[in-house]
Amino acid sequence: MMENIPVLSLTILLPLIGALISFLLGKRGHMAKWVALIFSAAAFILSLALAYEFVVDPSSAAAGEIEGYSNGYQYYESHVWIEAIGINYIVGIDGISLPMFVLTTLLCMLSIIFSWDTDRRPKEYFGLMLILEVGVLGVFVSLDYFMFYVFWEIVLIPMYLMIGIWGGPRKDYAAIKFFIYTHVASLAMLIAIMAMYFEASLGTFSMEAIATQSVDFSRGMQVAIFAAMFFGFGVKLPMVPFHTWLPDAHVEAPTAGSVLLAGLLLKMGGYGLIRVAIPSLPSGAEDMVVVMAVIAVASILYGAVLCLAQNDLKKMVAYSSISHMGFVLLGYATLGELGVVAGVFQMFAHGLVTAVLFMMCGVVQHKCGTRLIDNLGGLAKKMPIAAALMTIGFLASLGLPGLVSFAAEFMVFAAVFFKWGLWIFLPIIAVVVTAAYYLWALQRSMFGPMTEKIDLSHVKDVDWYEGLPVAILIVLIAIFGVFPYLIFSRIGPAVEIALRAFGGG
Amino acid sequence: MEIWNVLDEFLPQLLLVLFALIMPALDYFFKDKRVLAFAALAPLVAYALALVSWTIGGYWEPAISEPRIGLLEVNLFSGVFALAFVAVGIIVVLSSPEFIKAERNQGEYYALLLLAITGMTVVALATDLIVLFVGLEVAGIASFALSGFSKREKRSAEAATKYFIVGGFSSALTLFAISLFYGVSGTTEIAAMGPQMDAMFADVDGTHSVAVLATVMLIAGLGFKIAAVPFHMWAPDVYEGAPTPVSGLLAAASKKMGFAALFKIFLLGLVVVKADWDVAIGIIAILTMTVGNLVAVVQTNIKRMLAYSSIAQAGYILMVLPIGTEYAVAGGLFHVLTHAFMKSGAFMVVAALAVRGVGESIDDFKGLGKRSPFLALAMTLFLFSLAGIPPLAGFASKFVLFSSAVDASIAPGGQSWLLWLAVAGVLNSALSLYYYARVVKRMYMEKGSDERIAIPKMTGVAILFALVMTILLGVYFDAVLELCQEAAGSLLQSVP
Repeated sequence: MMENIPVLSLTILLPLIGALISFLLGKRGHMAKWVALIFSAAAFILSLALAYEFVVDPSSAAAGEIEGYSNGYQYYESHVWIEAIGINYIVGIDGISLPMFVLTTLLCMLSIIFSWDTDRRPKEYFGLMLILEVGVLGVFVSLDYFMFYVFWEIVLIPMYLMIGIWGGPRKDYAAIKFFIYTHVASLAMLIAIMAMYFEASLGTFSMEAIATQSVDFSRGMQVAIFAAMFFGFGVKLPMVPFHTWLPDAHVEAPTAGSVLLAGLLLKMGGYGLIRVAIPSLPSGAEDMVVVMAVIAVASILYGAVLCLAQNDLKKMVAYSSISHMGFVLLGYATLGELGVVAGVFQMFAHGLVTAVLFMMCGVVQHKCGTRLIDNLGGLAKKMPIAAALMTIGFLASLGLPGLVSFAAEFMVFAAVFFKWGLWIFLPIIAVVVTAAYYLWALQRSMFGPMTEKIDLSHVKDVDWYEGLPVAILIVLIAIFGVFPYLIFSRIGPAVEIALRAFGGG
Repeated sequence: MEIWNVLDEFLPQLLLVLFALIMPALDYFFKDKRVLAFAALAPLVAYALALVSWTIGGYWEPAISEPRIGLLEVNLFSGVFALAFVAVGIIVVLSSPEFIKAERNQGEYYALLLLAITGMTVVALATDLIVLFVGLEVAGIASFALSGFSKREKRSAEAATKYFIVGGFSSALTLFAISLFYGVSGTTEIAAMGPQMDAMFADVDGTHSVAVLATVMLIAGLGFKIAAVPFHMWAPDVYEGAPTPVSGLLAAASKKMGFAALFKIFLLGLVVVKADWDVAIGIIAILTMTVGNLVAVVQTNIKRMLAYSSIAQAGYILMVLPIGTEYAVAGGLFHVLTHAFMKSGAFMVVAALAVRGVGESIDDFKGLGKRSPFLALAMTLFLFSLAGIPPLAGFASKFVLFSSAVDASIAPGGQSWLLWLAVAGVLNSALSLYYYARVVKRMYMEKGSDERIAIPKMTGVAILFALVMTILLGVYFDAVLELCQEAAGSLLQSVP
């Protein structure tokens, strides 16, 4: 049914149109949320249809029969853009990008619903959110380095403005720190891209074409390029010691901004590593395995320990992201199929779970006027639904079996065990610490005696626009926790193709 | 040689001069001074249309006289520079009438403007050092007078004086260098300098060191023109003091004239002594971008900030000389073009605000997003383009420029130190983002007065033109990049 429609381009275009309409609303700014909802929902429905039509295992079915199929990518579109230096508009989707793509349209739509009561400069707010969606979607389907970079950078500006305009008290500092930090990282990646382009000397920026050459680059060249890319993607991930922009940005960002930042922007780093760096530069990746593994374990442990020390709920969740994204990197570092699949799945899982957590932090902030754990206590009596949702979110994040994170983290551990044996004890410590900080925070903020530090008499439970997105996410967390196969089966074949250069993984 | 052929070939220059000469008469006859602006616009637009239809459209070829008259040559290289000069000219002329409304002697203003642009195009066309020098002087003297046009303002007078003294000094250095080159090569024809010097080095002892001395003089002389560190001190003062449209002309066009001269002389005439100057210019390039960006961070006046930012941009373009490949020259030309639009656009936003009584301090931009959404958006896009954020023009040209350094460093037989130019370039781009983003922050994230600002109409048109080009050259730059590549080829093919 969707054979001849450029679905991917259309899905990227929809939010862009929505953003332009939103900016041009003039005095009817209150309509912006409707515009944003309609266009983000349309994009979401398109992406769902695309996921439904996606051929799970193209190698078993007759790949030739799939319309728009090319070398593992479906819905492939290719047009010449700048002929002079070989820049093309190439998009395509495979099992690695599909979960990210759908996650993006989903989280953007839910964040827009969650922001339903935003009345401060709504035109700009919803417009920028849609622009952000365009950028992130573009990153996940670009198959041309130049395009990839353009979309990658487009994401920065709306996020910078969102933190800077709608952010908390230290927004100025947080916004500029986020902007500069991630921009420097992007530039390292840019130099790596240029080096790949010239070293391959094919006169094209197509990722697939360059990958055919880059696997044969000299070892030194591969390591140099991989290191630059690793830095570029790693800062976004974020990895210790380049993580310090993240807590600042999260604490100051508006709730929806945090959801998109943690749910999607961090994924761009993890996605870039597996889409570009690892498959294109196998020798580089092999030489950097120890670096990757050490940084991953450091991120997992350091992030978790920092969580224990936090008094601000949102800051705690932010640090937990560092810890959880460390698992993605650890999975990749095994360079085996199991580990990489687990890493990609962990990105998807983290996207769902962290969105719940940030939304619930937003609810607490909204209703109680503070997120400081010391000032909270006994909220469950005043806002039972909120307490229930938050409890589920925390349990999901600490890896309760049956929920989505468990499946992902368990697989990462399995892959680490197969590869490095008993070294697994290091990352596994984090599981204990994670359970500790979540349960402790829950106990102090939601349960126990009612706090007297703040006035709880007017505190209401969650509003519909806050509860609905969280509920939807929780349902998905449960579904994919019980049936992780739904995602694995799609990631698997794509990862197999990505790891071809490693001789069967 | 038919006189008509010459006329045909250089008709645009002649038209510019002609309109410059009749400007005082028009000033005498017409009460409505906007007529002058439109009269000044006429030859510029005609030239622009001719250039575009020639260089990009391919619909028309200029009649190039055979045999060439020897001192000036119309080719794609000069065409690209002329495009930049004329585009900036149009933007500046469009935004002038509202800015200088209250001034007297407007006829002279437009006459000088046209003469300045004539001088710049002569530099781009010149194939001979003496003609090139004449072009530099014509443009230079017109610019000195333009900077001091607001006679009653102290700052303007100071700017003109300063510019005049520094300009005179740099002309003297340039002329001295030219005379030395004549001494060691026996010619003033740029393309012939190389082989002649080579022969001379073999025959006469000590001539090589004279050539190196001359090169140093030339770097200093032209370094003043492009405001390269350490010859940049004058630029912020002059840009701040000059009437804002003129500042735009100086930053976006005059500076490019210096590059037209540098590209020609260094890549064409001085390749034989490249080993003597490439590292030095590489260091100057890195110093220029770093100092420009670092000092821009602490500026509180928007014009001074833009001045330092254009010093930094000059550093980026200077990278072309040590790299010296065709691709690098194409990147340099491309950046010359994109910078012309984004920098003049930014200055014209400042000019538009000045017309409405908004000051030049960066703090005066507070709340501009509310007061004038169009001007704020335009400024944002110009600044982000200058910082090199895609998908804007500045990113596209920086991409080509920096990647040429990477290319030259990893190519077989390439010089690996050139990679540091690219690294310095990207680090500086990140640094520059800091001060550009601060202006954006003022405009959108801080509260200012609530009074709306009406956009001055003609300035608004100029800004819109620059804005459209800034976006267009970022999103679809195929034709222009191809043109720059061909232009680079046309320059380098005559290298002996």
